[in-house]
Amino acid sequence: MGFVKLVVFGFIGLSVIYLCISIYSRSVRREKLEKRWDADNPGGDRVERDAHVAAGMVKYETGLRRKLIALVYVIPTVTIATILYLTNAY
Amino acid sequence: MRHIRMTLRLLMVLIVGGILHYVLPQHDVVRVTSTEIYRTDFSGINRWFYAQADSGNAEQPTRDLRLINTERRRTFLLGFVPRDSYGTMVYRNEDTGWIWPPYFKFDSSDLQAQAGAVVSTAAAPQWLVITHYGWRNRFLTIYPNATAIRPVEGPDVQIIPWFNIVFFAFLLGAIVFVRAAWAQFRERSLDPALDAAGNKWDEVEAGVAERRSRMGRWMDSWRKK
Repeated sequence: MGFVKLVVFGFIGLSVIYLCISIYSRSVRREKLEKRWDADNPGGDRVERDAHVAAGMVKYETGLRRKLIALVYVIPTVTIATILYLTNAY
Repeated sequence: MRHIRMTLRLLMVLIVGGILHYVLPQHDVVRVTSTEIYRTDFSGINRWFYAQADSGNAEQPTRDLRLINTERRRTFLLGFVPRDSYGTMVYRNEDTGWIWPPYFKFDSSDLQAQAGAVVSTAAAPQWLVITHYGWRNRFLTIYPNATAIRPVEGPDVQIIPWFNIVFFAFLLGAIVFVRAAWAQFRERSLDPALDAAGNKWDEVEAGVAERRSRMGRWMDSWRKK
């Protein structure tokens, strides 16, 4: 019963963390794209800027960095398995 | 106001520090003198400081409790500075199960067997490092929960608390992340939204002012010149 509780509430908790990190990461990437564009094209066209940022975000959505956020689920699971092993096998 | 804020902050540090001190693993250098099992009847006050019945068993209001009686080397400063004196310490030995605190300990019976196998006398001591969490309090009759024991050469061993080092590094990282995420959220989402709301409000106010002036002009047209 305790195990089911751990899995259910652990999953909910980690999902909240996952959402927060992915929103943060996306926001940081967008800001970086905007700032870099502004530095390269001072007084540039708004439409071109939006297109540049949108293209950059598409690249981000399919990139490796975004997939790495899934480690939020992997690391605690591995940690728990390790603690479980170390506590009970020794 | 400043005093209240300071008191609240101090209280929070004390509570969080207390919880961490209770839950994080600590190491003691001990010599096991005996092991025992005795029946316990928890009260509402000290029930908090005990785990539940062994994993897989039914929870009853009263049950047996495994204890490990030891002679322990005394320390200063949360165990960092060893002293040359010894005192008694009694550990309980309970399953923590799956939930809290997250030690995932299910091998209490095995640990009791291990402890029983290393019982030694003061004449021929077998020194051990015992990993535990929790507090001993004689007024509440609560004991720290032992999670592991390992034999060592003598009472002068250097113990590096690896888990706690990693834990506090992680905690620091988590705090830095939360602060950065909050700053980013404010800068990119909250402040623009508040600005937009502020602008909207200004527009509404300006609109109201204009309508009032129109009303005023119409009223003026009825006044005697």
